[in-house]
Amino acid sequence: MRAQFRSRIRLVLAFLILAALGIFLRLYFVQIVHGETYSQKADRQFSSGGSGLFDRGAIYFTRKDGTLISAATLATGFLVAINPQVLGDPEAAYSAILSAAPSSTIPRDAFIAAAAKKSRVYIEVAHRLSDESGQALSAREVPGVQVLRERWRQYPGGKLAAQSIGIVSYGSGDARAGRTGLEAMYEGTLARSGDSLYRNFFAELFSGMSNLLVNAKDAREGDIITTIEPEVQTRLAGDLAKLNQRYSSKESGGIIMDPATGAIIAIASYPTYDGNNLQSVDPTLLGNSFVEHVYEFGSIMKPITMTAALDAGVITPATTYDDTGCITVNTARICNWDAKARGVIPMRQIIMQSLNVGSSWIADQLGQDAFREYFTKLFAEKTGVDLPNETGALLRNLFKPQQVGYSTAAFGQGIAVTPMQMIRALGALANGGTMVQPHLVRAIRLNSGIERTLDWGKKTPIFSATSTRETVEMMSALNDEILYGGKAKIPTMSVAAKTGTAQLTSPGGGYYTDRFFHSFTGFFPAYNPRFIILLYTNDPKGVQYASETLNTTFLDLVHFLIDYYAVPPDRGFST
Amino acid sequence: MSFCIGTVAVLLITYIGLIAVVMSYAVLTIEFSQSVRNNKAEVAVLESRYLASVARTTTTDYISAGYALPTATTFVRAESVTALR
Repeated sequence: MRAQFRSRIRLVLAFLILAALGIFLRLYFVQIVHGETYSQKADRQFSSGGSGLFDRGAIYFTRKDGTLISAATLATGFLVAINPQVLGDPEAAYSAILSAAPSSTIPRDAFIAAAAKKSRVYIEVAHRLSDESGQALSAREVPGVQVLRERWRQYPGGKLAAQSIGIVSYGSGDARAGRTGLEAMYEGTLARSGDSLYRNFFAELFSGMSNLLVNAKDAREGDIITTIEPEVQTRLAGDLAKLNQRYSSKESGGIIMDPATGAIIAIASYPTYDGNNLQSVDPTLLGNSFVEHVYEFGSIMKPITMTAALDAGVITPATTYDDTGCITVNTARICNWDAKARGVIPMRQIIMQSLNVGSSWIADQLGQDAFREYFTKLFAEKTGVDLPNETGALLRNLFKPQQVGYSTAAFGQGIAVTPMQMIRALGALANGGTMVQPHLVRAIRLNSGIERTLDWGKKTPIFSATSTRETVEMMSALNDEILYGGKAKIPTMSVAAKTGTAQLTSPGGGYYTDRFFHSFTGFFPAYNPRFIILLYTNDPKGVQYASETLNTTFLDLVHFLIDYYAVPPDRGFST
Repeated sequence: MSFCIGTVAVLLITYIGLIAVVMSYAVLTIEFSQSVRNNKAEVAVLESRYLASVARTTTTDYISAGYALPTATTFVRAESVTALR
């Protein structure tokens, strides 16, 4: 009995050992031999490669009080798809879908053609339905019609700073990504890769164990916080639209920047587009003219020429010269805007009366090498602003021996720079001679909750503080005494200003005599500026001088900024 | 023997309990995430309205609306906000 019991026990034990060996062998094949295959199969099924809802970080404007307002965010709604194999009555289905999404449903003919494709099981026919419409359509349970969750990029401001915020769209692949503006520049921060909301939790738990400890994505992915102030941006955009429409210009643009830090408070151009509706947008508008186009800015270059000469010590504000109205340099004839001679006059008159002959005279005094050195420091390098596709300046004339290239560059013709380079260089006048780095994003708010402030502290000393102050005095006098015959003067605020009118280049060479590029720059309070403004309008019709087109816009912005930011007066107030 | 059965039973119940907790956590995570998304979308709608009203205010012509520009503006020094300064 005992022996029989023992043999049975051994039999059971042998069976268990064999079973364990079998399981062990099977595990060996599953985990070691075919482990890679199963891993890939599991990945395909669960966490990796899941086509979840579209996800992307937000871009924020920053109000003056620090409140964040979305410039780009995500909207949630529904899309409608049909299964032609199940769809019974295409006409009835189309009517139901059309009533739920009247603006986003494909045309009737396209819908009927899609419904006829019986080999297909999934065709999307309407997008961006609101929650109410989507749920109402879903409740009707139309056979062959599926109502599915959808998310898409939404720009609450519509056209507001559209060119700088950028767009998200499909490229060559099937993934949406930032294509222009900040959307493209900060793609690595804004993109959300493989982070589907509806992934398998267990698969994520076991396959992503390391992420529970240190998640690399949390240190990289986040939201973008810009320096753009939405109300100032709205004001600038509105003023430019009015200006452009009034003078039928080809385009107009403007930048408002803090000259001490390079933070861009507003940046707008006209014409523009609405990022929420890209179907009928002219593709040329998607670029950003502030960094991608170069212009000959004209006389707003004169304060830079003046400061360079003052800084080099070749002139002082008291220096005089004999203005003859026109001069000939090499074989080119250079004249003042009215071709009239002024006689012997001091330097400040070159800025106040915007005299080309005087600027050319300064270029002569400075000499070619020194002139080239100053302008190369100011314009040869790209600004490094956080916008894609930045181009460089055209300074070829400054590398030729002919003096005429320097004489014309002194008043902003013959060399072409981007608006971003121009405001950076003019910012050096406002900032005691130091050039700062313009930027649009001040911080990144990471998914981990940490707000990482970006370092834009690169400063390039160009001029001495004394030389910039002397030029600022001339620009302030221009505002107080010349603009609107002195009526532009604000008794309680010093404002430095300069207008610029440049002839447009002709495709056949040379310049048009009746087509112009108008520019305007100014900053205030003049001797400790909080804001620098650069405005331009390209090819305005029916006017010749920038003082006719941009004065009003500039002064409107100055008064608005003084009121909005409650900028304290810097002169003329009673105690 | 009864001790072993008891241990197995406790482990089994703990295992089932853990599965329930993990499943509930997963469901709540998805619901909360969706809720956050929906709230963000609602905030975006409010932000759109705010920005639209800013644009409307900016483009309003106050003169045609019957308001007049001030005839004079005077600036004065800001008074100290505390008695100690």
